[in-house]
Amino acid sequence: MAPLLQARAITKRFGGLTAVSDVSFEIEKGSIVGLIGPNGAGKTTFFNMITGLYTPSDGDMIFDGKRINGTKPSEVTKLGIGRTFQNIRLFAHMTALENVLVGQHCRMNTGLLGTLFRTASMRAEEKAARQKAFELLEYVGLGRNSADEMAKNLPYGDQRRLEVARALATDPKLLLLDEPTAGMNPKETDALTALIYRVRDERELTVLLIEHDMKVVMGISERVTVLDRGIKISEGLPREVQTDPKVVEAYLGTGHAAKGKGGGAPVFDKA
Amino acid sequence: MPNTQRYVKTGGIGFAVGAFFLWNYPNLGIGAALLGGLVIAALCLLYSAPLPDMIKAGLIAGMFGAVMTIVYGTDKPGVAIIAGMLSGLGAGLLVFQRSPQANPKKAAILGAEAGAIAGAWTALALLLTAFVIAPAAGVDAGEFAEHLSETVIFADALGLGSDILILLFAFAFSTLSAAILGAAACAARSLPLRPNIPLLAVIALPVLLIPLIDRAGNLLLLDALIPIYIFILLALGLNIVVGYAGLLDLGYAAFFAIGAYTTAMLSSPHLGINLSFWLVIWVAAAVAAIAGLTLGAPTLPLRGDYLAIVTLGFGEIVPILFRSLGGGPPSGTLTLRFFGMPIGIEQVDLTGGNKGINPISPPHLPFIGDFEPSNKIPWYYLLIVIMGLAIFFINRLRDSRQGRAWMAMREDELAADAMGINVVRTKLLAFSMGAMFSGFGGAFYGAFIGAIFPSSFDFSVSIILLCMVILGGLGNMTGVIIGGLLIQGADKMFIPKGAELFRDIANERASATGSSTVGVSALQDLTQQRLLLFGIVLVVMMLVRPEGLLPNERRKAELHPDDDTINSNSVAAEAESDPSLAA
Repeated sequence: MAPLLQARAITKRFGGLTAVSDVSFEIEKGSIVGLIGPNGAGKTTFFNMITGLYTPSDGDMIFDGKRINGTKPSEVTKLGIGRTFQNIRLFAHMTALENVLVGQHCRMNTGLLGTLFRTASMRAEEKAARQKAFELLEYVGLGRNSADEMAKNLPYGDQRRLEVARALATDPKLLLLDEPTAGMNPKETDALTALIYRVRDERELTVLLIEHDMKVVMGISERVTVLDRGIKISEGLPREVQTDPKVVEAYLGTGHAAKGKGGGAPVFDKA
Repeated sequence: MPNTQRYVKTGGIGFAVGAFFLWNYPNLGIGAALLGGLVIAALCLLYSAPLPDMIKAGLIAGMFGAVMTIVYGTDKPGVAIIAGMLSGLGAGLLVFQRSPQANPKKAAILGAEAGAIAGAWTALALLLTAFVIAPAAGVDAGEFAEHLSETVIFADALGLGSDILILLFAFAFSTLSAAILGAAACAARSLPLRPNIPLLAVIALPVLLIPLIDRAGNLLLLDALIPIYIFILLALGLNIVVGYAGLLDLGYAAFFAIGAYTTAMLSSPHLGINLSFWLVIWVAAAVAAIAGLTLGAPTLPLRGDYLAIVTLGFGEIVPILFRSLGGGPPSGTLTLRFFGMPIGIEQVDLTGGNKGINPISPPHLPFIGDFEPSNKIPWYYLLIVIMGLAIFFINRLRDSRQGRAWMAMREDELAADAMGINVVRTKLLAFSMGAMFSGFGGAFYGAFIGAIFPSSFDFSVSIILLCMVILGGLGNMTGVIIGGLLIQGADKMFIPKGAELFRDIANERASATGSSTVGVSALQDLTQQRLLLFGIVLVVMMLVRPEGLLPNERRKAELHPDDDTINSNSVAAEAESDPSLAA
């Protein structure tokens, strides 16, 4: 089976700075893959190249058998890549329901005339969209009460969930989560982890997540790719990656790598 | 101490406006200063005073009826009937805004009380006019009685011979109709319907009755009302661009000009093309929409300040273009040149240059025939139909996939893009839809005025439209309509008529003391300084209530980042309803 997403020797240069250098990796359909690395490793740059915000300087990004280099973000979303943002970027002054409805925008077909004359198909589509939006809100654990709440008034954890619901509304095949548990307490983190599993199992999605929190990423990912200074330094099962000396070195510096032979550094506690 | 602060602030505003009048018009004296300052100060004070909502709503809405009655009342006391109805309607809607009711019966009672207060307030203004202001403006009792019997409708039919009886009738009619309309409006608003047809009917009733009362009383209000409505139509279009899509457009008058000029060129003897208005209005809207695309396309990557500058330039270029397309170059205008050579089109007189195009053919309907400039009633109803359709369709746009895309783009363009919204298409659609509605407005304007000139579409038009949108509340159609009524009402009714009244009073005083009369200059001064007045209003609004009179919930939260909007509102409401907390 062909991988869902394939990065072939991707490089991104900003002027003289090479943010991502010759990175290749693959995501199998139905897997949960973690992308980790210290600050400035090029994770978000890589993410932005998948979602179309940046165009790779070199290499090919293949999604579902199609080359997506230089495709506009809205087109990438249409092809089936949904995303959340590291710093929550909800439509703050729209209600939770409207946020999810906006997510469905690219799956709706009503044109201008349909809207102006409120045709039967437009009404049917609008009704179905609302129905689906309510379902998605419930699915991520936001009750009906939150539907009419303005996004900015929701508690932090709910805002993260709403972002997931909004991304799911775009009907993605691949869901990209940019530090989904950043700023969450352990309880919220556990709940979100459970949600990610459910999304994968019940909706048959593939998930790629960037995480800073090693515990989370090791606990949830089936495969992990590690970037450091724009270069892929390790890849494999979480267990293997944890003990990879190059990874330990990247996170903690050379001194620790030498000492770390007995059971790994403290940050890599069993999740 | 929020209330004390408010009193100081509002009192200061009133004082400033009063001082402004006094300083500018020493001849008009204390009277003018008092009126101008008092009205605004009183409104601000009323708004924050610890009174029951019902009384407050009645007094605030009645204030507008009262001012209208006073400025028109000396020659047309019958205006009090319309003023009473409108202020009653306003009071009913306002009281519901302040204290919503779920029970229609209770709402009706509340609305009736508020309406009656507003109507009585208006009627008191009529008595004040009859006994104080009219004599002060040099209208003697006999003359006033004549105006009264001419302009108060039904007075003849009821056989009310005595002036006092007519006055009492006007008083009772104004109060009663205000109470009824207030009750109906408030009750209708409490119905959980969507769309709320009864509410629309209650609002439509006085709007549709105005021309009939106007004709019966020979009030000539339509001359002012039609331009006001045209501007509101334009502001509704601008609201799509600025309010929904968040694209600051400072050159919106350009689309108005394009609509009007399209109509003028296609429907007048000027170019020998004389198509029917009913066809041309659609062509004008389409041309304006295309112009919207033309402006939108090159400005796609721009946002905020940069977009504002480009649209401002566009707004300046379009009237100049129309000026220079008028054949041989009249002195002082720009000529189109290509490598120094005057290019061909300037030989053809497309637009009449500075002289404009005159006349433009009016619409024609079976039974009514050509719409006459002297009879404004068909024009009024035609405009109501156009506005009704515009409101209807803009509403549909807002509550749709498209409308949500506009708002998402306004909130966060990058996130909208990432959610699959084609930002390019969404922006262009906002520009062209906004432009389209001003195309309709321009077509109507051209046919209604019967002549157009490039000077009718200058920068101040764009700015006044933007003021209307901001004053009412960005992104809220009801707010934009109210903002439009206030600004345009002040511009086309209250200020000119008020200035006339002040002049009459000052002349009367001058002739009584034997000094020289004031003449027209003061009147012109006052009407010419209206832009300054709007400037003051805008600055005050930005300080006191940056979200506009009727804010879009979404905007409101954005503009007060520091406080929790819901909490601070409820605290303020508590403080207002309980005077002991206000200390």
